[in-house]
Amino acid sequence: MIGKIILPAMASPVVAAICAATGTFFIYRVTAGVAKRFLNSGFRWGQIGTATLVSLAHGTNDAQKTMGVITLALLATGHWAKFDGIPFWVKLVCALAIALGTYLGGWRIIRTLGKGLVEIESPQGVAAESSSAAVILASSHFGFALSTTHVATGSILGTGIGKRGAEVRWRVAGRMAAGWLLTLPAAAVVGGAVWFIGRAFGTSGAGSVAGALVEFAILLGLAGYIYLRSRKQAIGAHNVNADWDGDTATAQPQLTTGGVA
Amino acid sequence: MSAVGYDLKFALETIWKVGLASLALGAGLPVLFAAGIRSLAWGSGGEAEDSHAKPSPIGKVLAAVIFLVVIYAIVSGIVYVIATGKGANYDITFKHLIPEIYKKVN
Repeated sequence: MIGKIILPAMASPVVAAICAATGTFFIYRVTAGVAKRFLNSGFRWGQIGTATLVSLAHGTNDAQKTMGVITLALLATGHWAKFDGIPFWVKLVCALAIALGTYLGGWRIIRTLGKGLVEIESPQGVAAESSSAAVILASSHFGFALSTTHVATGSILGTGIGKRGAEVRWRVAGRMAAGWLLTLPAAAVVGGAVWFIGRAFGTSGAGSVAGALVEFAILLGLAGYIYLRSRKQAIGAHNVNADWDGDTATAQPQLTTGGVA
Repeated sequence: MSAVGYDLKFALETIWKVGLASLALGAGLPVLFAAGIRSLAWGSGGEAEDSHAKPSPIGKVLAAVIFLVVIYAIVSGIVYVIATGKGANYDITFKHLIPEIYKKVN
């Protein structure tokens, strides 16, 4: 537990930050004298490759945890008996759910990481993505479970440190770290509460089915509320790069009063 | 050694390895890619260079070679991860330039 989850979880963002800072520093050294437009368009091509690698890395690590939890539950209840395989529908449902989640929440995260934390340029994007992909793929290779989000955030912080004159908004980083610390106990509380509610309906027969349906309805309702709340001030391609309000440290773009967004 | 002690030792050794591999590939490859962009600018000249220098064809050749090396490294890295991942019964050799996958003999 400590060796395979907790230590890697704490060390991986630091390793990623060091790696990305080193990469960024030398990228700008090597490309000195190249015209800015040429540099950015060249590295934009590179970003297509590195972003693909991050997706692959994400699949080798994060996606497996979701599938693991569901398969574990199926094993525990006797609905699945093979120890060396995962039911196909579990893989499909997890892949669809992760893709849907990225589709729904992606822009907000892109804005926080790429505009709020550090205002990154294409070369920094390549450095951050390749160090994320390398850290995650290497960790997957050794069987370490870690968070793609933590690694990617460490990488982006690193690119801010590695480029001379770049600004890292440490308040944004602090907010994110607070969020990470909160999610662990919050997930435990929600998981426990939902379990108690479901169990109140009974543990076998029609009662357990009703319990499961009620649990599902509660989670769907909460998820729907969060989604609708985020739609109130939607972030998309039109405002993802709008000026960042340094005072609030939230992803919320300025309401369009003066044409900034 | 206690279970926790063994766990810690494993974690620290592996974090060290992950760090080295990441530095070599995660920082090394983008810097190599940057060298490719540098050469391409050298080869293109004019608008591509702050100095508006004349294009030199060697730059383009050099850029092509560097980009090929980068692509080779990425593809072999992916093949390596797939072939040797947990649960896979394969190993890989780079003896001849093109990575070869073979079944492990137990």
